[in-house]
Amino acid sequence: MRLLLVEDDRMIGESLRSALRLEGYAVDWVRDASAAHTTLASERFDLVLLDLGLPPGAGPASAPPLRDGLDVLRALRARRDATPVIVLTARDARGDKVAGLDAGADDYLVKPFELDELNARIRAVVRRHSGRAETTLAHGGVVLDPATRQVTRHGEPVLLSAREFAVLEALMARPGALLSRAQLEDRMYGWGEEIESNAVSVYIHQLRKKLGADFIRNVRGVGYCVGAAPAEPA
Amino acid sequence: MSSIRVRLLLSLLAMLALAAGLIGAVTYRSVLAETEALFDYQLRQMALTLRDQGEIAPDQVGTLTDEQLDFVVQIWTVDGRSIYASRRHPNLPARALLGFADVKAGSQVWRTFSVATRDRVIQVAQPLQIRARLAANAALRSVAPLLAIAPLLALGVWWLAARALAPLQRVAAGVQQRDEQSLAPLPTGGLPDEVEPLVRALNALLQRLGASLDSQRAFVADAAHELRSPLTALKLQLQLLRRAPDEAARAAAVDALGAGIERAARLVEQLLTLARSEPGAARGAFETLDLGELVRDAVAATQPYAVSRGSVLAYDAEPGCRVEGERSAIGALARNLVDNAVRYSPAGSRIEVSVGRDGERVRLRVDDPGPGIPAADRERVFDRFYRRSTGDEDGTGLGLAIVRSVADRHGAELTLDDAPGGGLRVTLRFAASPSERSMATTGTGATPAASAATSTT
Repeated sequence: MRLLLVEDDRMIGESLRSALRLEGYAVDWVRDASAAHTTLASERFDLVLLDLGLPPGAGPASAPPLRDGLDVLRALRARRDATPVIVLTARDARGDKVAGLDAGADDYLVKPFELDELNARIRAVVRRHSGRAETTLAHGGVVLDPATRQVTRHGEPVLLSAREFAVLEALMARPGALLSRAQLEDRMYGWGEEIESNAVSVYIHQLRKKLGADFIRNVRGVGYCVGAAPAEPA
Repeated sequence: MSSIRVRLLLSLLAMLALAAGLIGAVTYRSVLAETEALFDYQLRQMALTLRDQGEIAPDQVGTLTDEQLDFVVQIWTVDGRSIYASRRHPNLPARALLGFADVKAGSQVWRTFSVATRDRVIQVAQPLQIRARLAANAALRSVAPLLAIAPLLALGVWWLAARALAPLQRVAAGVQQRDEQSLAPLPTGGLPDEVEPLVRALNALLQRLGASLDSQRAFVADAAHELRSPLTALKLQLQLLRRAPDEAARAAAVDALGAGIERAARLVEQLLTLARSEPGAARGAFETLDLGELVRDAVAATQPYAVSRGSVLAYDAEPGCRVEGERSAIGALARNLVDNAVRYSPAGSRIEVSVGRDGERVRLRVDDPGPGIPAADRERVFDRFYRRSTGDEDGTGLGLAIVRSVADRHGAELTLDDAPGGGLRVTLRFAASPSERSMATTGTGATPAASAATSTT
């Protein structure tokens, strides 16, 4: 899963990025409103963690000025972009919370917060966004629990590395949907992280070894999926 | 006795008593004079009628027989034998001189009028006491109505005082209802002219109090908000340390946590410094300070930080530049200026700090080769917690706010300009210490240089 972290404080940003990477997320981090705006307009994220008190940053002169995170959020929703957004802010007044949620935030977490709570909320928002009721992802006897980061196959635990888990989670989120190599790389790596050559092929190979050769299908030249791929004849 | 009502009441009663006394005395005196004239006339008339007609005139019989008036007719033979006295009396006056006389008989003084015929002496007498008593009665009668209405007046005054003081009581109740949360002005409508200035003064005080409280609240709110970021960072850094999967990650987390603690400590220290230099904070003692020495200390204290960034701090001072000021505040000002210059300049910069004389004033100047501050932003940078950009510097946003606050307290002029080599030039001009001009060495407890220029930036 690929997250965009919008946070102007260097220390908070660095710590959050490290913590989220430990959870297996690919994290990109921007530090002002303009950068957040342009990044969100050009790239796809599974979730945005948005600070409200942001410096405007240097945006294009023609663009309307973005004074803070709330403006970024409104601009995002005005583009009909439904990317889930969790607001992370020091503004704890009820009015601020109402304004944040009404501007289109999916959740609102006041600083300082516990990482456990943040991670649970991230999972909850992603689950809600995908329209699932179950807290786990299941397909073909394989069950993936995003909260405990555990995977079982026919009830037997399967040990996966963080990257393997990220690839499997991306594929199992929408069984049958094809994800390209680039899309999978996006889910695994944030900016500045060195992408190992052939990484996706390697991780797919590992996963097939652990979960069964036919669990992940490959549609040549298009991408990978779990379950029946629409492009592949049965 | 501090009650206005009681005081008014007592004053009224005292004035009534005085007035009654005066009226009584005046009445007594005038009535006494009148009765004396009247009774003297009657004494004389009776005596003359007796002498000339041998009997009392009919219109005088009533007077003579009136026991209240106590007229006594006495007749003596020429050789002094008393042959008649109209009334029995324990002490009748002796035969007196012809004409009017005051004669003492026993304890009484009599007013007498004597006439002589060929063979007898006729004397009509009356105790003087009678006249005094009549005058006193008259005086009493004139005063009586005054005394009669005294209780009514007292009641009236009591009531009037209560009515007149009611606005004061309303004001008092209004003030009592105010707490530290509600400093709304008291209503001035319908107040008597005497009370209105008091209420206006109170309202002005409430307004000043409210403004001061508002700025305090804003400060506390800002501080609370700003403290959240370092605390959030600390909390995250600690959680990260707990989750560190390996030794390298743990070491990095410990370093980050150390930096976080340092930053939080620095913010708290800066907040305290600013709070101490805010208007309204308790003022420390002003003393004569060697500005050059204080700035040198600040440069020395910042040196390790400059070295860590590969920057050079150049310092130059004319000797003996003295100013009047608060040692810790000026020290904080110098440290913040030097620290800011290092912090916001690129690594490996050369920062020039100098102290010198500028005419009658003492000048502190810091030039840095950093990005500078555009003219449009030069006022806002003094706002507390205002940060211009998100560089990698963990500034507290308080440095220039502290500098400005201290400069204002010391009446120093603070200006921001472009440094000659680009970047920012901060200049502070202090009024030179009086002992500086007279070249005296030191002096403590001198008065602050309060009348100098205000900061213009």
